[in-house]
Amino acid sequence: MMMLDVQGINVYYGAIHALKGISFHLNEGEIVALIGANGAGKSTSLSAISRVISTRSGAIFYKGESIINTPPQDIVTRRIIQVPEGRRIFPRMSVVENLEMGAYIHNDRGKIEKNMEAMFARFPRLRERRKQLGGTLSGGEQQMLAIARGLMAEPELLLLDEPSMGLAPIIVEQIFDIIQDINQHGTSILLVEQNAQMALSIANRGYVLETGRVVLEGSADDLLDNPHVQEAYLGGGG
Amino acid sequence: MNNLHIQKSAKNGLVFAVIIIFLALIGFTVTAASMIQKVFGVEVSVGTMPKYSALIAFLAFIGLWNGWRAAKQTEEHPLQAGHAILAGLASGFVTGLFALGYSLIVGTLQSNGVNVRVYLSSLSPESIIYFLFGQSPLSGGFIQLSLSTVSAAFGALLVIFWDRSQHQFLIWKQKLSAWGNASWPAKLRRNVFVGYIAMGVVLLLLVILPRTWGSYWNYVMGTVGIYVLLGIGLNIIVGYSGQLVLGYVAFFAIGAYSFALVTAPEPHNLNWNFWIAILVAVVASAISGVLIGLPILRLRGDYLAIVTLGFGEIIRILIKSDLLKEITLGPRGIRNIAGPTLFGKSFSSDSDFMYLIILAVLLSIFLARRWQESRIGRAWLAISQDETVAQATGVDTYKYKLLALAIGAAFAGLGGAIFASRNQFTGPEDHVLMVSINVLCLVIVGGMGSIPGVILGAFALKGLPEILRELESYRLLVFGALLVLMMIVRPEGLWPATRPKYEENSPPPVTVEGGSR
Repeated sequence: MMMLDVQGINVYYGAIHALKGISFHLNEGEIVALIGANGAGKSTSLSAISRVISTRSGAIFYKGESIINTPPQDIVTRRIIQVPEGRRIFPRMSVVENLEMGAYIHNDRGKIEKNMEAMFARFPRLRERRKQLGGTLSGGEQQMLAIARGLMAEPELLLLDEPSMGLAPIIVEQIFDIIQDINQHGTSILLVEQNAQMALSIANRGYVLETGRVVLEGSADDLLDNPHVQEAYLGGGG
Repeated sequence: MNNLHIQKSAKNGLVFAVIIIFLALIGFTVTAASMIQKVFGVEVSVGTMPKYSALIAFLAFIGLWNGWRAAKQTEEHPLQAGHAILAGLASGFVTGLFALGYSLIVGTLQSNGVNVRVYLSSLSPESIIYFLFGQSPLSGGFIQLSLSTVSAAFGALLVIFWDRSQHQFLIWKQKLSAWGNASWPAKLRRNVFVGYIAMGVVLLLLVILPRTWGSYWNYVMGTVGIYVLLGIGLNIIVGYSGQLVLGYVAFFAIGAYSFALVTAPEPHNLNWNFWIAILVAVVASAISGVLIGLPILRLRGDYLAIVTLGFGEIIRILIKSDLLKEITLGPRGIRNIAGPTLFGKSFSSDSDFMYLIILAVLLSIFLARRWQESRIGRAWLAISQDETVAQATGVDTYKYKLLALAIGAAFAGLGGAIFASRNQFTGPEDHVLMVSINVLCLVIVGGMGSIPGVILGAFALKGLPEILRELESYRLLVFGALLVLMMIVRPEGLWPATRPKYEENSPPPVTVEGGSR
């Protein structure tokens, strides 16, 4: 079943035409990767879905309903959660407070604590650092905290923006294992990545973005075999 | 000890030379000496200079400081006494040489009949003679030179003494804190009743003081209180929600004017009751906060600061303009603004106003704390740290920013109304940019986001200048220096914010202990 359907959206930053009529979709239970170079419009696409930035034209449907006029805070209550790029956590809140902030839309104290316990089980490092301020965590821990904070809202669709950015390869492996695990527990994931190899290795399908347009789409395996993708994003013909 | 060290000391001496010559040029040396003399209980009669001993005391103090800094600069561990004294001597000597040069130049100019006062209005002939200890330029300069060198050497000696005894101090400090944690001070700290008693004493003081300390202090402290009120309001906007608003005075003006317009006999002759008028002022300010916030709160950071800065000025200029002259009486201002009444009786003496202000401050502290600890406060905290992420976690950032602005504006409106009522007058010149700057300064000096900080900041910024009145025209100079010093010593503010801990009482239960890797 089609969960998210993005149809020909256009986004402008002032005079700059950032998204030039992009269309893609995501079926329930899938991991879909948006790959491309810097400035291709990957992050902008995510922000357009979470309605943090506004689109000039085009349509976005979530579970068959248009969300083009839904304000960002209501997007969150519809369980579409964005994890912004660059480990954007609240630096002067403790780990626990960051997680509580993730559950801001929920009012059920018991449920919040149950979810927090689940996060600590999934990310044992965060339990060790629960009283520490977010800004004092290491890069990998901050990324885990950002994902955990997103999960606290019990997302049905998780929008992950560059989770591998600036992290050591071994940490990236861990993060991608976790992403796969989250997906297997029933959360659909739209993944934006520069690390095409990593992203396509866990995705079902993928879209290649170049300067605000979708230039290629297909199953993850097809894209991995595609000569253009290999040359541009997987480090040459090999 | 090598050339580099001597060079460093000489540089230090140069800095102090600049300080001393500057202070002498603006005539501050005389004022400082007068103050020292007054501290020792000897009045300085009008038109005469203080005693030379007072000048020596002041210069010696600067000299000691000079030597202290020079000796500290050697950065030796352990400090060698010879090196420290040499550094102090060198630094003091350099300063002294410049003082000698200054004495020669100014003294010679004076004896040749040049009136330097034409160029430097504070540099009177008397003050020049005073600086030369009544001697000729040459011998006066040599007194300066030797005084500077000797006192700097003593400053270096102080450093040596401090360095040798630091270890001993540390032991004493440890003993003291160990005693404090074990003996009755600790019990006192843990006892809840002590807190209540302290609060009771403070409340009792708040009731008694306005009756006893006379109208001057009521006026000064009343002003401080109004600024506390403004500070708490701005703190909600800047400290809690993190929006840098520079035109805060606009809401103060709107509160003062809406209060004035409905109570004063001119221009509208409405003569409303004080309490209703206060309510009108608060509501009007809050509404103006929302109306202004609607278009501008989409801006962030510097842009918001600049737009609000402009807005503050626009309100003042509008009030002053011919356009609204019919309504606001323009630059003339509004006179005969009503004072408060209580059960039909006038309630507008100095101490009554003090009570009113204290009550308003207590109310605003209570409300601000309640909001900070609520869900709203949590949303503000998130917005102040990262607006985009706050939005991504489902916070309606626009709504909460508006709310912060409206609440902050309402507090400013209350402050403005009380201010206008107390002065029985309000005009455009009460609502200048400096008010916004002052309030922002007291929030920053006190400690952003901290209510005790705001109170301390208001005392520091509005009370201190009154205490410094003794210094007359150097008031602002000393005040500025104190502010700079405060920000160096306590960059986070006098009383930095500690956020309330939400989870202290019920940490999430740790049930799965061995289950995870």
